[in-house]
Amino acid sequence: MVLDLTMSMAILALMGALATIAGCLEDLESDVGSQSNPNSQVQLAPQMGFLHRIFNKAISGEPISNGMSAVIGGTVTTVLLSQKFYPLTAIVIGAFFGAIILGIFATTSYAGRVASQTRFKQPLYMDIMRYTTPSIIGHNFIMNFCLVAIAYIQFEILGYPFTIPFLALIWGISVGAIGSSVGDVHYGGEREFQNREFGCGLNTALSGRIVRKAESGLRNSIDNVWFCAKFGGPATGIALGLTVFFSSWPTTIFGYTWKAIGVGVLIVVVLIIMNRLIELNVRHAYGPYKEEKNEKEAKA
Amino acid sequence: MVAIDPTLLTNILLIGLSGTLICLAVHFIPVGGAPAAMAQATGIGTGTVELAAGSGLVGLITAAYMYTNVENAPMALILAAGAVGSMVMLASTMFSGGLIYAYGVAVPFASAQVKKDPITGDRQDTYISKGTQGQGLPTICFVSGIVGAALGGIGGALIYYVLVGIYGQLISATSAAAVAGVFTLGVFYVNAVVPSYGVGGTIEGVHDPKFRRVVGKDIFTSFFVSILCGLLAVLIAGGISP
Amino acid sequence: MSDVKERSPNQLLLIGIIGGLLGIYLTYLLPFAGDKIGGNPAIVLRTIAPTFGALGGICAVVWGADAVRRVAKYGLGTGVPSIGQIAMGMGIIAAMFGLAIVKTIVLAGPIVALVTASILGFIVGWFAQNVIKMKIPVMIRCMTEIAASGTIIIIGFSAAVAGNFEFANIVTLVFDNGIILAVFWVGAVAMLHPFNACLGPDEKQKRLLYLAGSTGAITMAIIGIAATMTLGTSGVITLVLGIGLWIIFYKKFWDEVYHDASSVVGTGLIPKTEA
Repeated sequence: MVLDLTMSMAILALMGALATIAGCLEDLESDVGSQSNPNSQVQLAPQMGFLHRIFNKAISGEPISNGMSAVIGGTVTTVLLSQKFYPLTAIVIGAFFGAIILGIFATTSYAGRVASQTRFKQPLYMDIMRYTTPSIIGHNFIMNFCLVAIAYIQFEILGYPFTIPFLALIWGISVGAIGSSVGDVHYGGEREFQNREFGCGLNTALSGRIVRKAESGLRNSIDNVWFCAKFGGPATGIALGLTVFFSSWPTTIFGYTWKAIGVGVLIVVVLIIMNRLIELNVRHAYGPYKEEKNEKEAKA
Repeated sequence: MVAIDPTLLTNILLIGLSGTLICLAVHFIPVGGAPAAMAQATGIGTGTVELAAGSGLVGLITAAYMYTNVENAPMALILAAGAVGSMVMLASTMFSGGLIYAYGVAVPFASAQVKKDPITGDRQDTYISKGTQGQGLPTICFVSGIVGAALGGIGGALIYYVLVGIYGQLISATSAAAVAGVFTLGVFYVNAVVPSYGVGGTIEGVHDPKFRRVVGKDIFTSFFVSILCGLLAVLIAGGISP
Repeated sequence: MSDVKERSPNQLLLIGIIGGLLGIYLTYLLPFAGDKIGGNPAIVLRTIAPTFGALGGICAVVWGADAVRRVAKYGLGTGVPSIGQIAMGMGIIAAMFGLAIVKTIVLAGPIVALVTASILGFIVGWFAQNVIKMKIPVMIRCMTEIAASGTIIIIGFSAAVAGNFEFANIVTLVFDNGIILAVFWVGAVAMLHPFNACLGPDEKQKRLLYLAGSTGAITMAIIGIAATMTLGTSGVITLVLGIGLWIIFYKKFWDEVYHDASSVVGTGLIPKTEA
């Protein structure tokens, strides 16, 4: 409130950067464990006779599990702050707690899901468990750190009416919703089914027939992160970064007025137009799937 | 039985209305569920509940911040702030999702429910990949989603506005914001899950035939349940007063 | 899905309601009894009392997880998590209402909350079944059960943080610092995670219940951390007991996994199948 424009823009930029990192890491974390929607194919594969060595992290939907780790991070941070810890230390320790709890939930979901697939003879690979779980914890720790830091900035510096756990929870839910709608498409739509023709949606007949061989050896979840880090993760990061940045930017510049609301609406309109441009570009570049039918109807 | 105070009644009705708006929002947001994440269906590749919640709650943050910063803020400004926060979140999500569909999976956007996009007039059916129910987010879905996000944001902001007004007179500002925020979260989730059951987890947006089929009964349910929640919320105020 | 040797829904319902309410009321009655006795026992009783709220919460988690299991088996169309969310949504509304409305008659609070949650759950379930037409025979009953267990979870864990369940006290110690969000969200995950994690054709109730105990104990440990801020020593007891219970249940869960899984291997190639 007492900040001048330069300082508040700096803080906004910092929040945008933190959000971008959080979004990217959230998506990669969900790809390490194969969570959320693409997980339905990992779950289906053994039933189709495709046994695999991919982690099955069915904690819950992404928004819920990330909301959980973020709210734990926020709670622990609040407790430490009340004991007069230095804020950065408090946030780091809080984020670590959240990540550890998420890791515990990840192990139970992998073990539980595989044990419930006994009739398809899917084995429970302990080595997958041992080296994928730390990776999940690591990715989630960075995400927690960024989200709790955003919540801390908003609560302590900007004076939001909600507490740190509340803000961390909402950003956790948001990042999960964004991660499962953006980054997961790259994992589910492309990486899981690289053996089919490029440039088409997944034919329903191919459901469950996931790729199980890697560039070398058998594919595991770590290989999936390697692929998704090239596009899916960064795109998710951009989405959350845009959200955090543009939801505060108009009010920071134009004050708490109708003008700011108008600018916000303008941003949305620009995004609609940009989406339309992508749509047109893609339609021209790739063309329709069914040429002949189109021509026949055109003649008739 | 206490005499029915008109303000009290208005507040209950406003909470009922906001619950209904959240319910309506879920119908507008194009969600394809798990199949959409595999480019197997049109819409955003996630669940209806969480997307509505994710966007609506961002709206709640912006609305609450507007409320703290403007003294005696008019209701319309708070609601608009909620709508903008929510719309920005969903727009950036759909835009980035579109990038992945376009350049990561390389599929053109197409809706399976309509032959021509009602807004742009583009042919849809020839662009649907074989064995799928459409993919990506054509303009109609995008615009429908934005409208839905706005409704969700307004709904969340409205409950918060009403409740923080009621509780603010009784307890400290911090407590009022906390209690009102948590109650909003509760009402939000109830009203996001109920219509999700109604639409069966997936809907393409306002142009989907499913929209007309289910929207009536879902709204009826949500309105009734939200009125009940509103009643409870107002009665809580009676319990708080010392 | 063999239904042999399973705990019946009614049995778990009794565990949830009686265990949950007992735990919640002990947080109030133990200090009360301590005051009657006086001296050192009073301090001890006052210190350990809040922990019982969390233990009651675990009973409710186990009950709620089984209710989620029964209804989600039918396939809800939106995944398992949504039902945990609606449970907590209804639970928190009812809990706040129940605790606030009773004013000075504090003891009636949890009962009023439980009844309100059941009514709310019944109405939502009735609408889901008859207006939205979900065609799930156990919908109404399960919706009522999960709303009721949700409200016990919230009151139980809140009482463990606040020391008792007076609304004014809960507002100051649980709402103002945001810990209610941890109760709300981690409690929801504790309830929905067991079935989501055990989903599959060979899902077994015993394994699920152990997992529910484990997730409940994790929630208790986190609540313990939060309670060290508000209550000091009582929080440490809740934390340590929560971790202890978690180790027991987690171990039991893994025993069941080793028993149920097709094979547990250190590493290896994919077994040959016809595909």
